[in-house]
Amino acid sequence: MNAIEVNHVSKSYGKVTALDDVSFTVGKGEVFGLIGPDGAGKTSMYRILCTLLLPQSGTATVDGCDVVKQMADIRRRVGYMPGKFSLYQDLTVEENLRFFATLFGTTLEEGYDSIKAIYSQIERFKDRKAGALSGGMKQKLALSCALVHQPSVLFLDEPTTGVDPVSRKEFWDMLEGLQERDITIVASTPYLDEVRRCGRVAFLDHGQVRGIGTPVEILERFADVFNPPGIDHVQMAEAKDENVIEVEHLVKAFGSFHAVDDISFTVKRGEIFGFLGANGAGKTTAMHMLTGLNQPTGGTGRVAGYDIRTEHEQIKKHIGYMSQRFSLYEDLTVEENIRLFGGIYGMSDADISRKTDELLERLQFNEHKQDLVASLPLGWKQKLAFSVSIFHEPDIVFLDEPTGGVDPATRRQFWELIYDAAGRGITVFVTTHYMDEAEYCDRISIMVDGKIKAMGTPEELKQKFNQPDMDHVFTHLARQATRSSD
Amino acid sequence: MKQFISFVIKEAKHILRDKRTMLILFGMPLVLMLLFGFAITNDVKNVRTVVVTSSMDHLTQQAVDRLAASEYFTMTQVVGTPREAELLIRGQKADMAIVFGPDFAAKRSGVQFIVDGADPNMAQMWTSYATAVITNADGGAVNSKMLYNPQLKSAYNFVPAIMGMLLMLVCAMMTSISIVREKEKGTMEVLLVSPVKPLMIIVAKAIPYLVLAFAILIIILLMARFVLGVPLAGSLMWILVISTIYILLALSLGLLISNVAQTQLVALLLSAMVLLMPIVMLSGMLFPVESMPAILQWVSAVIPPRYYIEAMRKLMIMGVGVDQVIRELGILLLMTVLLLALALTTFKKRLE
Amino acid sequence: MTLKYLIQKEFIQIRRNAFLPRLIVAFPIVIMCVLPWVMNMEVKNVKVTVVDNDRSTLSQQLVHSVEASNYFIFKGQQPTYQAALQEVEHSRTDVVMVIPQDYSRDVTLGREPQVLIAANAVNGTKGSMGASYLTQIVTAHTRPEVTAMQSRVSTLFLYNKHLNFKLFMIPALFAIVMMLMTGFLPTLNIVGEKEAGTIEQINVTPVSKWSFILAKLIPYWIIAVFVITVCLVLAWAVYGITSVGPVWLIYVLALALALFWSSFGLIISNYSDTMQQAIFVMWFFVVMMLLLSGLFTPSRSMPSWAYATTYVNPMSYFIDAVRTVFVRGGGLSSVWHQLLALLGIGTVMGTWAVLSYKKNS
Repeated sequence: MNAIEVNHVSKSYGKVTALDDVSFTVGKGEVFGLIGPDGAGKTSMYRILCTLLLPQSGTATVDGCDVVKQMADIRRRVGYMPGKFSLYQDLTVEENLRFFATLFGTTLEEGYDSIKAIYSQIERFKDRKAGALSGGMKQKLALSCALVHQPSVLFLDEPTTGVDPVSRKEFWDMLEGLQERDITIVASTPYLDEVRRCGRVAFLDHGQVRGIGTPVEILERFADVFNPPGIDHVQMAEAKDENVIEVEHLVKAFGSFHAVDDISFTVKRGEIFGFLGANGAGKTTAMHMLTGLNQPTGGTGRVAGYDIRTEHEQIKKHIGYMSQRFSLYEDLTVEENIRLFGGIYGMSDADISRKTDELLERLQFNEHKQDLVASLPLGWKQKLAFSVSIFHEPDIVFLDEPTGGVDPATRRQFWELIYDAAGRGITVFVTTHYMDEAEYCDRISIMVDGKIKAMGTPEELKQKFNQPDMDHVFTHLARQATRSSD
Repeated sequence: MKQFISFVIKEAKHILRDKRTMLILFGMPLVLMLLFGFAITNDVKNVRTVVVTSSMDHLTQQAVDRLAASEYFTMTQVVGTPREAELLIRGQKADMAIVFGPDFAAKRSGVQFIVDGADPNMAQMWTSYATAVITNADGGAVNSKMLYNPQLKSAYNFVPAIMGMLLMLVCAMMTSISIVREKEKGTMEVLLVSPVKPLMIIVAKAIPYLVLAFAILIIILLMARFVLGVPLAGSLMWILVISTIYILLALSLGLLISNVAQTQLVALLLSAMVLLMPIVMLSGMLFPVESMPAILQWVSAVIPPRYYIEAMRKLMIMGVGVDQVIRELGILLLMTVLLLALALTTFKKRLE
Repeated sequence: MTLKYLIQKEFIQIRRNAFLPRLIVAFPIVIMCVLPWVMNMEVKNVKVTVVDNDRSTLSQQLVHSVEASNYFIFKGQQPTYQAALQEVEHSRTDVVMVIPQDYSRDVTLGREPQVLIAANAVNGTKGSMGASYLTQIVTAHTRPEVTAMQSRVSTLFLYNKHLNFKLFMIPALFAIVMMLMTGFLPTLNIVGEKEAGTIEQINVTPVSKWSFILAKLIPYWIIAVFVITVCLVLAWAVYGITSVGPVWLIYVLALALALFWSSFGLIISNYSDTMQQAIFVMWFFVVMMLLLSGLFTPSRSMPSWAYATTYVNPMSYFIDAVRTVFVRGGGLSSVWHQLLALLGIGTVMGTWAVLSYKKNS
């Protein structure tokens, strides 16, 4: 018997069609991947299978129960981790976990073994409030909460967004362990290495199933989306021998905890500098100090020639910033956002409107000039947010995990924009969890436990640690971590 | 059952950890009780009075002395013409002026009060007090008796009103916000998909607020009795029974709001604008319902706190038996049943 | 001129919000059209029951004069005081007047009869006002010489000849509308940006604290001007009430109050993490300031410790000043010190709002 059967399911919200005649089956004990770009209808599918939404037409069964009629039966059998799974910020790590364990009729002790691999990384912070954890840490806790019980069917909606490569591997190892116990798993993910670990995958696009098959088949059939040709890494016309970022012995301590522990590095003008590290290694904290959002506890630093302690307002005039959380003002249109940020940096009206047209032309965004940002797909928001962050031609642009949650083709387009900017002499300082993106950087540093453990060009690092690619280099270094925290 | 208990504990932790909100929740009744008990009064006191006279003769002086001796009036100055007095009143240096005719002593001309009529109630009170003092009519023929509230404390009138407002605030506003917050943050999806019955989720969320409401109720009652000296004349049991019905009613309203609202902001605005404003204004807590135009009286007839406040005034202050509040009790019960039924039928077990 | 762009942004966001524009228009209208009818603390419809133990011509005359008074609603006679008290308990009557057995004899002999007036004083104002009017009627009946004296006393009510309660409350409503519009909306605005995370993006731009805060404040001042205009027009159109004093002064006072409230709202949101928290803290202060402002009860009747708070309560200054201008027709010379106090408190709060907003922590 199939664990899940979906027959001709359709669902629309007003005029927007979320799912259009979708059919597939998932066998018992299978790991099934549901992949596709943002807005493809994945979340609606999960919600229908979890009995949270009613399909407009078609039928679906989960574990032999009908999703319309047997709501209570299904809810007893399934586990669900929504895309924006959020924890109770004011409860501690352990309290969150215990609550979810009880909710699903089990205890933390019973479920401990199945979540050990990930939970052990955050266990030492079990008395800390969930709200005080870093983004990646929260995701790990959410994973632990979702896996603490063992349902017969498990739905995971992009569970690893924002999680570092090492932890993602551990997470998928855990899923394989569950599979051995005959638990059916449906998961979605933007990471290709994770797609490859599924038994079968369905590629969903604009609410329709484009193809179902083994990961290899699907990735090949839709290579234009999943496996775009790599970008030629052109070394920019000799990065100038001028440091735009100089950091010496930088420390940021929260109480006795050193989030950033004595780091020193320099970045040259026009370089693309990759700032890598596991969740909680201290990347975001370091970036906040460089962009003038936080005061360092110790050490010195200069960005664009200004002291990060005393001249942070000067620094802000010469940098651009795009964070994982923020894209743009959602309730303003594309044009209004550009105007606002142009104006904030003191550009004249004439300059703004001229450059706006140029920008929209380049992004082929002209017809969306008057659209609300909220209505754009995630990939577009990211591209637009990046373009806005360099609109005033800053010396340096800081990008904090700019490409989370989008497919490889969209990420590739994003990196074309980055190269374009670097070509115009803008220094790019970027953090990412995608190791293919790490290869695109001129130089990278890898942070572990608040310290920089390695620095150099991707080639140098691969040679130095004797690993085939950046993914292995990263895993090699990150596994040496002794602390896991933010 | 274990799930249910852990749910209630989780909810209680949310409330206990938000220190600032807790402080406000328990500080509010204290401050309101103290303000209404001691600060907010309509007493005639410290009325700044100007005497207008051209010749201060013996009789005039006597009248002025009598005024000054009373605790109501403070004589600020003596001026020659009514015009000067009026300027003083306009500049908010005085509240009223007493003009004595030039031959007041000869009993031929009279006295005129020039009163700042901006506040009509107070203006009338001032004149009637001043008349009594000047004419030396102490009302000897009359023996006045103020029933239930011999010292005319405004607290007697306001304590039931504070109870009506705060219980509604805690139960309706806070419950609805806490449910909607789970919707907004996405945790509601997980809770719904869990094996716990959807109704249990809601009941478990309501219980800590129920406890909180009782805590506040008890604080108010204790303060009313021991700090403000309000008698709590009636049966304590019935006070608690009717309060419990009212709390359930407020919780149903909160649940109803959370069924409608999708974001915390909407829940907040709905509770504040649609619930709290009409309650404060139309329930008779501050302004007497009987002075309103008929149409507003009808509107106030469907506002639950009106009946609660009325019932509490009768039970707590007048100390009448429960048979006198049967009507209020019945209406409250009926409203509770209706609202609860409505809230439960509109409760969505799915996302749409 | 980054300020221009920031203000533009605020206006677009307000306009595009599904709820705010309607709120800004509808709220003052509803308040002005409904509340003057509600906030009427005039005591009327006092219900009287009489117990006549004397049953003489004189006592019946007294009963008739009570019956004839416009002030009271006569609820008939009861045989005994006990029976009358029952009526009070059933809320069928508010005041009981008991005429003693020897009333007629005492009055003719010039002795003071002991008429008992028992009033339900749960609502103190109603009870005491009812009792005091009834006392006047009785006194007039029993002591004609006092009546003669009373006839020599005349009263001139300045500014509000017809003792219209609406005239007293409408300027106070301006204060309430301003408080809700310019106090709560900015609070929600900043906490909203915090929750959405957009504030972080602004923090890494070179926008100065002052322009950021000013950009948040100015739209609400403009809204304040709009709202006050709506209020003034409605007061004239619906109630035929217009300001006696200069209208520009009302606008100046309103702007000074808006400066205070919008800054105060921003301070609270700078210190709050969630909307719920911000609203609760705000609500707490609003209730306190409102109750102690002298809006409902005269501030001079308060005990001295409570009266002392009016020196730092901007609502108290505003209500005092706006009533003086609107009702009493005072000019700048009458209210300059209230205006100065308002501006002073507003400036302090504005500075605090800027200082408490941290771009770099």
